[in-house]
Amino acid sequence: MMLLCGTIPDKNLPVTYGQVSQDEDYLYAGGRRFSRTQGTGAMISAAFAITSYFKLEAPHVLVAGDIGGGEGTRGIYKYLIEHIVELSPELMTLHYSLPIMALLRKLCEAVKGCPNRPFMIADAGAMYAAKGAGLSSEFDIFTPDPSEIAFLADAQATHPAYISNYLFASDADKIPGQITDAFANKSAAKLLLVKGKTDYVAADGQILSTINEPDVPMLEPIGGTGDTITGLVSALVYAGLEPKDAAVYACRTNRVAGQLACPTPATKVKQIIDQFPVVAKQNYCSWAGICYTDAGK
Amino acid sequence: MEVAKPDKAKFVGDGIIIFHDVSGAMKGDRVIRAAGYESKLVAPPPELRMGCDLALEFNLVEQVGVERIFKEKDVPYQNFLPITKGASQLCDIVKVTDFGEWIMVKSGNMKLSFEKATGVIVNISGGGCPDIPYLNAEMVGKTLAEAPFPSELGYTLCATMLQRAYEEAVSNYNGGRRQ
Repeated sequence: MMLLCGTIPDKNLPVTYGQVSQDEDYLYAGGRRFSRTQGTGAMISAAFAITSYFKLEAPHVLVAGDIGGGEGTRGIYKYLIEHIVELSPELMTLHYSLPIMALLRKLCEAVKGCPNRPFMIADAGAMYAAKGAGLSSEFDIFTPDPSEIAFLADAQATHPAYISNYLFASDADKIPGQITDAFANKSAAKLLLVKGKTDYVAADGQILSTINEPDVPMLEPIGGTGDTITGLVSALVYAGLEPKDAAVYACRTNRVAGQLACPTPATKVKQIIDQFPVVAKQNYCSWAGICYTDAGK
Repeated sequence: MEVAKPDKAKFVGDGIIIFHDVSGAMKGDRVIRAAGYESKLVAPPPELRMGCDLALEFNLVEQVGVERIFKEKDVPYQNFLPITKGASQLCDIVKVTDFGEWIMVKSGNMKLSFEKATGVIVNISGGGCPDIPYLNAEMVGKTLAEAPFPSELGYTLCATMLQRAYEEAVSNYNGGRRQ
């Protein structure tokens, strides 16, 4: 079972657990409906597109309403700490949330009780909390953007807003060095997928792969295009790909889908997510040897 | 075309105000600036940090006046301290990218894009705190004049950076006038 966790910008949404389904612009789980635009919703929708393509079990989700005050974040952590052993997901992705380090510590302790350790992915606030708490090594994949890799590289920073100006000023040129620094100061997960103009996949301090094509500059302003990569890599790992390959194909899928959507800065991320099945059908056979047949296999 | 420029002139204070949460710090910043005091949002000293924290650097000599205005405006805070060491500054680089019909403003980890002709906010990107998807829902589709201030609806450092991007967007669109 794949478990995707994060906050939703709806203060009336209680802590909600269930298997997800999708209808037009909305996701459904546990008898509740929530938007798939940006943030956790975009991440879940991206993962759902891939599990649907592969005809895998749909993701289970744990979501809660939070508009920044932290109530939903605390509810999600409380539920996870109490139920993670019983849930024992094969893969767990932690996404938008208030970076509360103490609660993440408790969760990492609780995870040790699982019969089989989940494959753990973090992005957004959960990644900030992991770095701040010194728990990065507990995670298998982080998916930072350029400002977030600068944050991971800055041993003193507790939030991406606090990265030193010298790390931010010429971000693109400094990313390879920042990846090295993030591993050196133990702020990196086992594998880093750095999303940006060039995407980087790195492990053990070494860059394993770079992805530049297709180059779609219009993706940068579109909110949620980093969240989709986190959902894609989660689903591709769950589908059985090696983490490094899953990371590379996630980046390629996002780029090609972006190109197919002919985006402008006003494009919405759902228009890109809707291209993922097309990208998979056209490319996964040649990229990964996962070939589509009309019989649906 | 991409232009990077530093934020406003640097203010250096010798005191720091610790708040219970980020939203308190943001409110405190608004209140004391409105009252004419100088201040700057900074990270608390490391021993006081919990994660997504924010504090205010200010002139220690103005403590009494600041305490009074906080009481009048109902701003809860934890403590006033002299600065010794460890107060980090927020990243203050702002970058503007011209996409033809649209402008993207990036402040720290946050990006806001608007249409040049109308001032309509078309996308908000970046950040990882829960108020960002909320601010996205509240701001996208509105003009820069109609949209709520991120600092008024937001709670976190991501919202603080989005406020800076928003202010730069307003400045870029009509010379700083919101209307």
